Amino acid sequence: MLALRLIRGTRPTAQLRRLLVALAAGGVGFLLLGALGYALDHPGDPGPALVRLLWCLIPLAAVVQLAVAVARRDPGAEQRTGLDAAGLGPTGLARLAAVSTAVSMLLGSALALLVFLHLRGDVAGLPFDGSAGDGLAARRGLPVPATLTLLLLPPTAAVVATARALRPRPPAARPEAERRGIPVTLPWAAALVATGLTVEGYAARDLPGGAGPAEGMATGVLAGWLLIAAGLVLAGPAATELAGRLLTAWRPGAVRLLAGRVLLADAGRLGGPVGVLTAVAWSALTAALLYGAELLGPFTVLGAAVVVGCAVGTVWVTAGRGREERATTSDGLRDLGASVGLLRRAAALRVAVPALLLLPVVLAVAQLATLPLTG
Amino acid sequence: MSAKVAPPDNDVLWARGLDCAHQGSPALTGVSIAVRDSEVLVVAGARGSGKTTLLRCLSGRLRPDAGEVWFNSVPLHVLAPRARDRLRRDRFGWVGSTPELVPELAAWENAALPLLLSGVSGRTARRTALEWLERLDVGDCASRRPAALLQSERQRVAIARSLVHRPTVLFADEPTAPLHRHERTAVLRTLTTAARSHGITVILTAQEPLGLPRPAGTAAPADRRPPEIPVADRVLTLVDGRLTAGGSLSAGPRDTTPCSLSA
Repeated sequence: MLALRLIRGTRPTAQLRRLLVALAAGGVGFLLLGALGYALDHPGDPGPALVRLLWCLIPLAAVVQLAVAVARRDPGAEQRTGLDAAGLGPTGLARLAAVSTAVSMLLGSALALLVFLHLRGDVAGLPFDGSAGDGLAARRGLPVPATLTLLLLPPTAAVVATARALRPRPPAARPEAERRGIPVTLPWAAALVATGLTVEGYAARDLPGGAGPAEGMATGVLAGWLLIAAGLVLAGPAATELAGRLLTAWRPGAVRLLAGRVLLADAGRLGGPVGVLTAVAWSALTAALLYGAELLGPFTVLGAAVVVGCAVGTVWVTAGRGREERATTSDGLRDLGASVGLLRRAAALRVAVPALLLLPVVLAVAQLATLPLTG
Repeated sequence: MSAKVAPPDNDVLWARGLDCAHQGSPALTGVSIAVRDSEVLVVAGARGSGKTTLLRCLSGRLRPDAGEVWFNSVPLHVLAPRARDRLRRDRFGWVGSTPELVPELAAWENAALPLLLSGVSGRTARRTALEWLERLDVGDCASRRPAALLQSERQRVAIARSLVHRPTVLFADEPTAPLHRHERTAVLRTLTTAARSHGITVILTAQEPLGLPRPAGTAAPADRRPPEIPVADRVLTLVDGRLTAGGSLSAGPRDTTPCSLSA
């Protein structure tokens, strides 16, 4: 009950974060139900249905990542002190976070079920002159256990991940010393991307030129793409750290110093979500370059929207957490007479420099990845 | 004196009729104060008596609900935010009751921050900051991050940061709060000595520890002044957002030698 009261009383931005989670969960739920619908429509041919179900894993992972980021952000620092004073320890806070995650995710699943049933015509007849039910097994009965299992999958995954991420840990004893030299993940990222490109090129030898999405997505090509995506995820922390190094190099002034050092300190936390966003941007660009409008369909668009939305949302929420933690520091800087404009300029640099570093990488890797399939 | 008249020449900072409330809860009521050039003024009071709010109003960090604040002949209460930030950056120093250092910056970078903020070159800023850290006995911590320092070292770095740009007025809001008793006197002495040798006006707040009811049978304290201020020119007392000891408990700074209180 406390969790529900807290959800009801929180600020609009916190509500917006939860709404984002609910919408994303709804999207994933709908995709899962769509896979079920396809399987019901093609009972004798389980292969493609299984592939569709497996593709749902990517949006599922994205929404779980977003849900964990949102759960880490809530309750805010202010609320946390209040709850702590009221006797709710770290375990209680973790439980609270798990409950509010479950509420958002279940809301999303319910939304997905409602939309699914509506489009199938189970609620008030087939909408859109009956054309909406295509591919949703509109004229077949829906197996209840399978539907429930699929709908409960995203909430369960999110709650488990949240509980794991927020379980109380002993605090780190001493902060580690500043690292120097190239970022640790950079060689791994480069190696994975290079391997991925090679694997893809090797697998694409036998494919006919200008192959469409159906025949072009051979296992080897997909494996190469997965390797490239993993490399780009690893490139996130490296790029964040490099951006911090670049900003603080060559006699930095106050703005560059503040922007760069915070990036360096945040590289561990923010780097992951930034890497995922990079990988997502690369996949979207590559898919668009290769297949363009051929891929457009209700399910692919929804899936892409969920993945992109979750990746952007996770970066936004994680950056917000850092901002909240630095509120005291920012206040102290204002005490020194630092203007609001200066703090904003530092924040803008923190966004712009990693983006400028990663953008050419994404463009170049996307070009290289399309070469074997178009050539 | 009409409300529009600028303060007398020897008052560096001057406020009249300050009213300030935090979302409805009154913090200051009708506080008037005049701070003379190069004096060390102590504002004493219990927790919640409005010391911090007064300092924030005087330093232009907080705009009072009513009343005026003048710095030399500049009206801080009507100054545009940008000009006020610039004035605060260049002319005022601030030490809080917690060090409030930027955790990502090394000690010397923290100390050099006011100089870097006003656009001084990195090399000069570093040299000046290192000098001040040396003077405050934390020179060997210069390249370490705040997390690797002791709380007393952090507070010394914060004091160095508040003095590094030679401010006209230094606001010190319970600067010794995070320190143990034996360090308090030393830190305060360093702070006031540095301020005096550079002609910096200091406004210092301190807890008024004698406001608590005494256990029965103990003698009344001989002195109501906070016991930890080594060198103060004047002591004012704030009670529930009002200045009660309207003038100085000791005589004015021009008439007497500074009073020294033992810790």
